[in-house]
Amino acid sequence: MSMLRLRQAAPALLIAAALLTLSACGMTEYPNSTFNPNSDFNTAIDNLFDRLLFWGTIVFVVVEAALIFTIFRFRKRPGGAAPKQIHGNVALEISWTVIPAVILVLIAIPTVKTIFETQAPAPAGALTVEVTGHQWWWEFHYPEFGFSTANEVYIPLGRTTNFVLKTKDVLHSFWIPQMGGKRDLITNKTNYMWFTPNADLGSSAWNGFCTEYCGSSHANMKFRLFTVEPAEFESWARHQATVAVPHRTPATGAPGTPGTTTLVTVASNPSVTVTDSVPAAEPEIGYFFPAADLPDHVIPKTPIPADLPFDDGLLAGGDATRGQQSFILGGCIGCHAINGNPMAMSPIGPNLTHLATRHTIGGGLFTNDAPTLARWIKNAKKMKPGALMNTIGIGEYEPLLKGPVTAGLTDAQIADVVAYLRSLK
Amino acid sequence: MASIAAPTTASHASTEPENTGIWSWITTVDHKRIGTLYLWTALFFFIVGGFEATLIRTQLMRPNMGFVSAETYNQLFTMHGTTMVFLAVMPLSAAFFNFLIPLQIGARDVAFPRLNAFSYWVYLLGGIFITLPILFQVAPDAGWFGYAPLTTTRFSSGPNIDFWVLGLQILGISSLAAAFNFITTIINLRAPGMTLMRMPMFTWMSFVVQFLVILAFPPITIALFFLLMDRFFGTTFYAIAAGADPLLWQHLFWVFGHPEVYILILPAFGLVSEVLPTFSRKPLFGYNVMVYSGIMIGFLGFGVWAHHMFAVGMGAVADSIFSLMTMLIAIPTGVKIFNWIATMWSGEIRFTVSMKFAIALIAMFTIGGISGVMHSSPPADLQQTDTYFVVAHFHYVLFGGSIMGIFAGIYFYYPKMTGRHLNETQGNWHFWLNLIGMNLTFFPMHFSGLLGMSRRIYTYDAGQGFDMFNLLATYGTYLLVVATAVFVWNFIRSHTRGEIAGNDPWGAPTLEWSIPSPPPEYNFAKLPSVTSRYPLWDLNNPEMTSEIAHSAADAKVITDSHAVPMHIETETHTAKELGIPMPFPTAKPFVVAFSMVVMFCGLLFLRNDMFALSMTVTISGALVMVAGLYSWLTSPLE
Repeated sequence: MSMLRLRQAAPALLIAAALLTLSACGMTEYPNSTFNPNSDFNTAIDNLFDRLLFWGTIVFVVVEAALIFTIFRFRKRPGGAAPKQIHGNVALEISWTVIPAVILVLIAIPTVKTIFETQAPAPAGALTVEVTGHQWWWEFHYPEFGFSTANEVYIPLGRTTNFVLKTKDVLHSFWIPQMGGKRDLITNKTNYMWFTPNADLGSSAWNGFCTEYCGSSHANMKFRLFTVEPAEFESWARHQATVAVPHRTPATGAPGTPGTTTLVTVASNPSVTVTDSVPAAEPEIGYFFPAADLPDHVIPKTPIPADLPFDDGLLAGGDATRGQQSFILGGCIGCHAINGNPMAMSPIGPNLTHLATRHTIGGGLFTNDAPTLARWIKNAKKMKPGALMNTIGIGEYEPLLKGPVTAGLTDAQIADVVAYLRSLK
Repeated sequence: MASIAAPTTASHASTEPENTGIWSWITTVDHKRIGTLYLWTALFFFIVGGFEATLIRTQLMRPNMGFVSAETYNQLFTMHGTTMVFLAVMPLSAAFFNFLIPLQIGARDVAFPRLNAFSYWVYLLGGIFITLPILFQVAPDAGWFGYAPLTTTRFSSGPNIDFWVLGLQILGISSLAAAFNFITTIINLRAPGMTLMRMPMFTWMSFVVQFLVILAFPPITIALFFLLMDRFFGTTFYAIAAGADPLLWQHLFWVFGHPEVYILILPAFGLVSEVLPTFSRKPLFGYNVMVYSGIMIGFLGFGVWAHHMFAVGMGAVADSIFSLMTMLIAIPTGVKIFNWIATMWSGEIRFTVSMKFAIALIAMFTIGGISGVMHSSPPADLQQTDTYFVVAHFHYVLFGGSIMGIFAGIYFYYPKMTGRHLNETQGNWHFWLNLIGMNLTFFPMHFSGLLGMSRRIYTYDAGQGFDMFNLLATYGTYLLVVATAVFVWNFIRSHTRGEIAGNDPWGAPTLEWSIPSPPPEYNFAKLPSVTSRYPLWDLNNPEMTSEIAHSAADAKVITDSHAVPMHIETETHTAKELGIPMPFPTAKPFVVAFSMVVMFCGLLFLRNDMFALSMTVTISGALVMVAGLYSWLTSPLE
């Protein structure tokens, strides 16, 4: 009874396994697959894994076949002869010790070779990106350009980027599955990991994850990697190195000189534009990955908590000038730096200088749009368990106070801050 | 030689009518009763750990599920790992160490019966200590491996980690005491004629495991002491502000942690090595090689620990060395698989439930072993580590390996322990539901891991390609719940309703099957002298052992006036009737264990600025413990 079932089940199970294996290649279906040779690093890993899979499959088939054959062939049958009492066989013992050893040597040699290749110092001319892990967000610093950003990292296609990995608090791990293996961020230690995204990928967006358990919101510590054409990268980096758009020094000359910018006002629809007292060309804000080109898998679908109310109607009337002041009133300057804003220079939290060029907020957790941003500001802890950002909304519960916030911002003030932040292109 | 007395039906009721009731269990120093206590307690914690797993998998059934909060989930996955490793699998092995080792070597009890009881009580109390917090939502929540600096006070300011640190220290004492006990027992108390190379495989594997315990637990004790000192007394072993290196914790932990996994698997290997020959009607193939490979695995197991750390940046040389060592350890492990298959080859296989589980271990452990070899290559491992691929690997070796092997042992030895069989039909349901459930739960994880899913995450987003694998894994978990329920029903019911078993229901070769089921309190009325590796087959089926080495009845024998030639015993008496001195039951081990745990509890109050209370509790506990120890050590054993 049980033997028959096993016999019938085995081929079906094998086919199912094969199908599953084959289907593991589709990009849209499996957007975080580790099997794609998108970079030199991952190509090397992939080749090694192919060998492991090859030998693993052979061992699997040989051993399981031997097992299944044995239990069928030698099952007790009525009237069967008594079994021969074999106690051992030296030749067999030697064979099944040596053959696995040989297979392991065939795995070991390419392994050691790949270890030394991938852990060699980064090639000359590599771009340096310093990655600092925090509970639960990612800081990216570009020393060659002199700016910091958070949770979104851009690197050029066809050129090596050397990631310098550190953490300010607990252990984290930096992982972009489609680009290569991971490397831990160890406190009081600096790790390095480099790879070269293939030049022929075309500007693409990838998901990155923290892969070392780091506390409450470990699952929510995500980032986005954008591998873009070199010219696009230069444009992006140069712009990110400038001060925030609303804080540009006005051109010298009388008011009304073309190019003089004023602070943001919000038009009738929530999208924010920079207006000029004298119409001039839209200030150049450099390249950033077009929202329209974002593949579905990098767009977060994290649900907004139902019990975090916010009057979205207020957003249209948000005023960025008032918002810049509420940014101080609400205590935001305690943690967030905005280059060009002399009040906002704290290195503790994510740098918000060009927040409006980012597609996600909250550590890659939510879409960067006005209603979401408003709720995030109002009660980040409710949106992201354990978030270290203070609760800002008046009346919202703050665990550290063990009571509701009294010194904070009203919904209208938050709408102003949202307007200010969305002007930071 | 025939049996000593006329065959009578072995009694399955308690052989000592005065030894019933709770007090008899609290004061017992009988290794068989202690083994039974371990078995019931460990099965209870196995269910607790399984319940935690069911909650975990329900939360992960769909993206953004919202079934439990992040904090609850983090406590659940921490406790699931801690419970399964320390409170379920290790004590299940201990149940067999306790019940079986003295019987297999032809001894009356272990070398230190009171220390044996002490080990059990410390385990029970430690298990309660570390599990109770979950009811108050302050369970440990930094993973079963508790990496610093997350576990330092700066990042874990609540009592959760205090419970974890103290709980593990308590449980470590239990294991260490037992290890010294069993090593002494195996070295000193073997029946005349039982050389080391004539010991049953289960005893051999257990012997190796005890050395692993003695050598592996000190490093974690040290690691935990450093953390304890940091948390309670402000030292800076792991304090990042003082420049500490978090890798100190990782190295110390994994120097323990890797041998620990061999501690978890070798007893199951030993049980399989008992079951397979019996149900193949053939001796174990390559006994010598099986012993040496077990020793090699134990020895090499201390040289591979940093393969858990391939992503931390140890450098190319260290990565390479640990990679090669890890590949090396695959060889003795693979050799065991082949020897087991060769044992069944040209045998006469009877597919009892026990045998099915043993065969399943071979099949499942092979899969887990293959993914293990995949991990041994650091560059490939950088894609695999900290993902669900690893979760798949270790569940194949722990569930498909340890648990399946333990179930093989339970179905095999239940008749010996209770005098009754487990029901075969229910056993078959348990087996098939288990096999299918286990594969449905863990096989998809190989895929979700390599397709980008990290470990230890309480939720995942939609559209990432993880959905189907998680759904399948959750369905598999529910099957395992049903399987376990069937087993528990069978286990409890068969105590009173199972078919009566005699001395040797399976036709097995070793000493424990020559005495009644359940064995009388003195085990052997007359200690047998052993003339080969398979003493009972020598007696019952001499044609099966004609080709292995035998010694004459009195060659190389320790002169022992109680030892007689190999025989079968079917009568059950009391030790008093036969004039055999047995250790007195005593509550002293329980008192010492309890007061020791109270002593640890006192430390919990230290961080809450309740110094006076803390010192009162700790010192009282210490005083009672010392008094109890003194009383124990100065009172006679028997």
